[in-house]
Amino acid sequence: MILIPCPNCGPRNASEFRYVGESIARPDPNSATQEQWRAYLYERVNPSGWTTESWFHRAGCGRYFKIERDTNSNEVRAVRLEPAAATKGES
Amino acid sequence: MSGRDRISRALTPVTGRLSGKPYKSIRNTLGKGTGEKRGQARYSAFDLFRRGFTKDPWPPVWREHELSSSYDVVVVGGGVHGLAIAYYLAHRHGITNVCVLDKSYVGSGGSGRNTAIIRSNYLTPDGVRFYDRSVKLYENLSAELNFNVMFSQRGHLTLAHNDSSLRTMRWRAEVNKLENIDSEVIGPEEIKKLVPYLDVSSEPRYPILGALYHPPGGIIRHDAVVWGYARGADTAGVHIHQNTEVVGINVSSGRVTGVRTNRGDISAPIVVNATAGWASLISNMVGVRMPITTSPLQAAVTEPVKPFLNTVVVSGSLHVYMSQTDRGELVFGASVDPFPSYSMRGSLDFIEGLASHVLELMPALSKMRVLRQWAGLCDMTPDYSPIMGFTPVEGFLVDVGWGTYGFKAGPVSGEAMAQLIADNKTPQIIEAFALERFGTGELLGEKGAASVGH
Amino acid sequence: MRLSLRPGEVIDRSRPLRFTWNGHDYPAFLGDTISSALAASGERVMSRSFKYSRPRGVLTADSLDPGCIVQVGDEPNVRASHRRVEDGMIASPQNVWPSLRFDVKVANRAVSRFLSAGFYYKTFMKPQRLWPAYEAVLKRFASGGVISNRPAAGYFDKRYAHPDVVVAGGGPAGMSAAVAAAEAGAQVMLVESEHELGGHLRWGGAHELSVLAELKAAVSATNSIEVLIDSVVAGRYDGNFLAILQRSLPGVTERLIKARAKTLIVAPGLIERPYVFAGNDLPGVMLSGAARRLINLWAVKPGTRAVVFTANSSGDAAAQDLEGAGVEVCCVEDARRGGDVVRASGSATLQSVECGDGRTYQCDLLVTATGWTAPTSLLNMAGDKPTYDERAARFFPCSLPEDVLATGGITGDGSLEQILEHAAHTGRLAAGRARVAGGRLRKGVPHAAPTDSPVAEEQSNAITALPVDAHVALFRGRTHGFVDFSEDVSSKELEAAVAEGYSSIELAKRYTTATMGSAQGKLEVVNAVAVVAAATESTITETGTTVWRPPYAPITLGALAGRTLEPVRYSPMQSWHEARGATPLVAGAWIRPDHYGNPTAEVRNVRSNVGLIDVTPLGKFDLRGPDAAKLLSQLYVNKWAKLAVGSVRYGVMCAEDGVVLDDGVTGRLSDDNYLMTATSSGADTLLEWAESWLQTEHPEWRVHITPVTSDFASINVAGPKSRTLLERLVENVDLSAEAFPYMRVRRGRVAGVEDCLMWRIGFTGELSFELHVPSSYGLHVWESLMEQGADLGIAPFGIEAQRILRLEKGHLIVGQDTDGLTRAYSAELDWAIKLDKEDFSGKPELSWQAERSDWPKLVGLRPEDVTVVPPEASQIVHDGAIAGRITSSRMSPTLGRPICLGLVAPHLAEPGTELSIVLPAGVRARAVVTEHLAHFDPEGQRLRG
Repeated sequence: MILIPCPNCGPRNASEFRYVGESIARPDPNSATQEQWRAYLYERVNPSGWTTESWFHRAGCGRYFKIERDTNSNEVRAVRLEPAAATKGES
Repeated sequence: MSGRDRISRALTPVTGRLSGKPYKSIRNTLGKGTGEKRGQARYSAFDLFRRGFTKDPWPPVWREHELSSSYDVVVVGGGVHGLAIAYYLAHRHGITNVCVLDKSYVGSGGSGRNTAIIRSNYLTPDGVRFYDRSVKLYENLSAELNFNVMFSQRGHLTLAHNDSSLRTMRWRAEVNKLENIDSEVIGPEEIKKLVPYLDVSSEPRYPILGALYHPPGGIIRHDAVVWGYARGADTAGVHIHQNTEVVGINVSSGRVTGVRTNRGDISAPIVVNATAGWASLISNMVGVRMPITTSPLQAAVTEPVKPFLNTVVVSGSLHVYMSQTDRGELVFGASVDPFPSYSMRGSLDFIEGLASHVLELMPALSKMRVLRQWAGLCDMTPDYSPIMGFTPVEGFLVDVGWGTYGFKAGPVSGEAMAQLIADNKTPQIIEAFALERFGTGELLGEKGAASVGH
Repeated sequence: MRLSLRPGEVIDRSRPLRFTWNGHDYPAFLGDTISSALAASGERVMSRSFKYSRPRGVLTADSLDPGCIVQVGDEPNVRASHRRVEDGMIASPQNVWPSLRFDVKVANRAVSRFLSAGFYYKTFMKPQRLWPAYEAVLKRFASGGVISNRPAAGYFDKRYAHPDVVVAGGGPAGMSAAVAAAEAGAQVMLVESEHELGGHLRWGGAHELSVLAELKAAVSATNSIEVLIDSVVAGRYDGNFLAILQRSLPGVTERLIKARAKTLIVAPGLIERPYVFAGNDLPGVMLSGAARRLINLWAVKPGTRAVVFTANSSGDAAAQDLEGAGVEVCCVEDARRGGDVVRASGSATLQSVECGDGRTYQCDLLVTATGWTAPTSLLNMAGDKPTYDERAARFFPCSLPEDVLATGGITGDGSLEQILEHAAHTGRLAAGRARVAGGRLRKGVPHAAPTDSPVAEEQSNAITALPVDAHVALFRGRTHGFVDFSEDVSSKELEAAVAEGYSSIELAKRYTTATMGSAQGKLEVVNAVAVVAAATESTITETGTTVWRPPYAPITLGALAGRTLEPVRYSPMQSWHEARGATPLVAGAWIRPDHYGNPTAEVRNVRSNVGLIDVTPLGKFDLRGPDAAKLLSQLYVNKWAKLAVGSVRYGVMCAEDGVVLDDGVTGRLSDDNYLMTATSSGADTLLEWAESWLQTEHPEWRVHITPVTSDFASINVAGPKSRTLLERLVENVDLSAEAFPYMRVRRGRVAGVEDCLMWRIGFTGELSFELHVPSSYGLHVWESLMEQGADLGIAPFGIEAQRILRLEKGHLIVGQDTDGLTRAYSAELDWAIKLDKEDFSGKPELSWQAERSDWPKLVGLRPEDVTVVPPEASQIVHDGAIAGRITSSRMSPTLGRPICLGLVAPHLAEPGTELSIVLPAGVRARAVVTEHLAHFDPEGQRLRG
């Protein structure tokens, strides 16, 4: 089992986490065309190699964060919390 | 071109087909394409017997060829889908100037890694009809290909462990019956008769409440299907190029002109992406973005024991399916891994979970030993249905997004895609699987059968 | 025959045992394996091969021995050359047709020419309907033992470990590496697959035995080494996660250790490779290691007259051992001087051997020592692609990741001293890398950055690689023989497969099944590659090798599963339900009462008196903060800004694709405090869903969401007499309809318990109060209600009654009356959807859905036949096509007729439309679309009462 480095809790077994998905920005719900919105819903780059993706630490701190992972080797680098957690940490 | 633009392009409803002309006229303009027929030994008990005495060697199942500089159709992916497309193009439509490319050996991808379960008890009428056609083709495949694919229609049980999955089983059974598919919901006593090793008591954490029983379902010798199609395609003149990897696809003014491979370039007006596991990567080469994520699906096999299980057993809630091969091995598979990856290395937690679920169903098996585990890549689509047919790039066709159900669909996909190429028109049986549905938001409803709702 | 005392023997002659083999009684000593005991009694045939029914005996005398796989009691496929005899053990051969001793060689020869690999692909094709009969014949060939249908006894255990260094292999290299690593400060696990440490030293001469004694002393003197014997590193997975199978434990059948190793040292030694020639599978033909093990470990004389075919020191030593054991060595055929063996012959067991120069020897033993296979399986799992060295005639590790090292025979040859030194150095390196990896883990960095890799600094201190000696490349001789013993695949069949076009090693493997048997290719793969290489006129390097897959050694399902841990959630009132004989319903993680005997009566009682249902599994969330309403507004299609303190509202939640995700009631308890409820099965998802909005899209919102499902016991009190009942128990809250109307929430004291929340909602369609009480008081409040309600006719009701009640009222259940494609407008939720909100989940899809009228609709259905309930999932057909389905249906005790909800095509959704429903028997039933989803009290007078 691979280790996912939670920015709060440190490296933990991947089974503690939920994979959320490829990092993809949410279009403006009021101006998005059907094409844009459905691309957001369904289309994925699905690259072979490094990708940026979101994970959720379900059995731990309950934080969403982003990692870069190599989809071939499953190596992980460059971890960062979603902005909320960072903001809350400061407040 | 930004990624977003490319996406929009993929989602634009497809109107531009292949220059508006049916394939056959294209073929005429390109010349060539006559199938070089050759004599080939027919397999038979008699010939086995004769060669047993005379020691005459068997002729090769398929031949090796130099890469031609052009083909009428290039099929990328030498699995059951790609080979079946080539086979039906040649045999049904006389289109023989065709090559099938595989970056490794034939059947090295999903076709050689799946658990070889065949069934048609899907949930949507579109799905049921499509897979039923495949079962019908499979039933006659040994005779058609003169290659025994060992289709064992031993029956297929999908277990329900809660009332909502029982309701889904009934739903499937009702739709199946209306489509004339042999499929019914049965209770624990009948289940026990079919599979004496199943624990149908109320003891387990998730007791067995019932099952969808599908008598025509079963297992097959997956490699034999691949080899049989390859042999049949080769006989009709199709070139099978193993160890030939596509590194790029040439597109000019919105239409395909050929592929680049590690062994040289090929020009071709039609390129079919019939890969599994690499469908996004091949489609990305022409800028067609796919609604696909690729995840490994793991499977394992035990050492053989004497026959004790004569039915395919599937439990959606416990994420396990299993069958016993004629050699005595228990083969089982799981649901796809929880995150996408192109790694086929396998994981420990998968096989632990699988073992515990197998033992929950059949507690007597704790001393059976796992001999091998492996993984195949599954291209998952949002609605658990494939993507077949035309794309915004003229001449670039797809037969992808096969998730965990690709092998079942090999023959019908080959037949339908060959028809599509020959007629330059989407056959009715695969209309529902067009790429456009993700642009219009009209997804198919197979997800309800594949994932267990609450 | 048993020899006199051997210096390294592992049997305890003072502890005689008896066991049964093939129905007969046999003696053994403690320490004997099943096959060593049988060999000591002169037995040579241990099994029949699976396809050609050829007799097979001891070949390797270790766990790989392909001909020594037996049934022990209920356990199939036991390795008889590894499993130790226990007193009273009942062992039997597995493939015994027609019998273990009967010689069917003549028949074999006649049949085998037609049973060449893959023959079944070429026949039995027509007619398809006869295939089951053919298949039944094929199945008779299934090999292996018998699995009984009794749950196997046994206790399987798991353990997590976080060792610095795991050493796979307890031979001289492994022991030396373990000691060095431990001395360098590492916590070490030393894993040996045999019953004792020592590897090949155990069956060596005096020098080897004295080195072994020293190594053992050093290992046991080192506290930080944990020795695991009869254990195997079965798999190496991403992140250096190791599966270690531990056996021979007191009280535990098998234990799976899941070790997150900082470094792994692979030191498995080498596997002796069989030689392929005619008759190489006859009992009496064995590898030099097998002969030496039988003689030196178990004091068994393996034959009386022997030919030794040797290409290396192991064969030379075997010849010496044989002579020392009183075996007449009639010929030593030395491959290094051009010697060869062409054919072994005999009926059932070996009788003569023909050498390369044509000489033939009468003998009952042929020992071959033709070379080694490197068991690189664990290295492959670590991503290595071992490369073939022609001079050494074996594969070597090529590029290992930083956390995996290799030592011992797998990396080279050399003297014992050189190997020990290499291993010690490797052990120190492993300890150093483990230290760096540990430091990284503590800092939270999962993988090495190129700059802080320890590998660079090791360059100055590089290991001197072991020398690689020249070995004669011996795979197949001049004749054809068996390549895969357990699969019964000969070199001739592999050649035939190549000639037919299955010309890559993977295709040839798949076609012939070579390397797919019990030894997982460890004995066979290099010979198979060599045969394919020769047949394709290419080199072994060009041919490559098959991919080794986990597990490294076969591992039981029991060990992998361990004890199944499936947590169950119960409400605080569970003991009460059990005492009242409630029928349990498994609902995801929860187990809850389905009914208490008669759900129909439960329904009637709610409609006429008062009933209680335990709804504790309802997902509950505490929302706090000034922006709580913004979060609600984002999650639900409804509006929340104007919900007054003390009020509750039913909300519907959609995913971004507009599909209904969840529903539930949320109440505003104070200005910035809400209690939100969700379906019990959706609760976990909902929390993550809400957090994703808070953490990724709206970090500026000030709101906390806390799951409080288990903080409250939840009880719904429903029925016309519910108010009367509660008035007896509730203090400080005015329960009158005016003071506490429908869709309001109050906080008060119930049965003496402070801080209970009361919601006036009505899923059942009756006047009802939902109580959320601190969970530790749940049983008290429940019992108080039952007691105080006795004269009101109170009775508990379960999930089944609730489903009937809500169906009478036309309340939908998300996931049952909706499915994975049902967008909110299809579920008759138009009234709730507020497209004028700035944003909410799924808004764009719903706004597009609102512009169209071609979506399916949820409708109420009234079957015409009042006696027949169309089962849920029955299909609705129109013009010969499926046009919808029944999503919910029950016989209504209140109305005395069947009631349904259905999802139907839009043109069939108009009230009054007659629909045709297909019943299970195939007959059609008619039903009419009703005006409302509710069949009972559509105006809601009762629940507002």
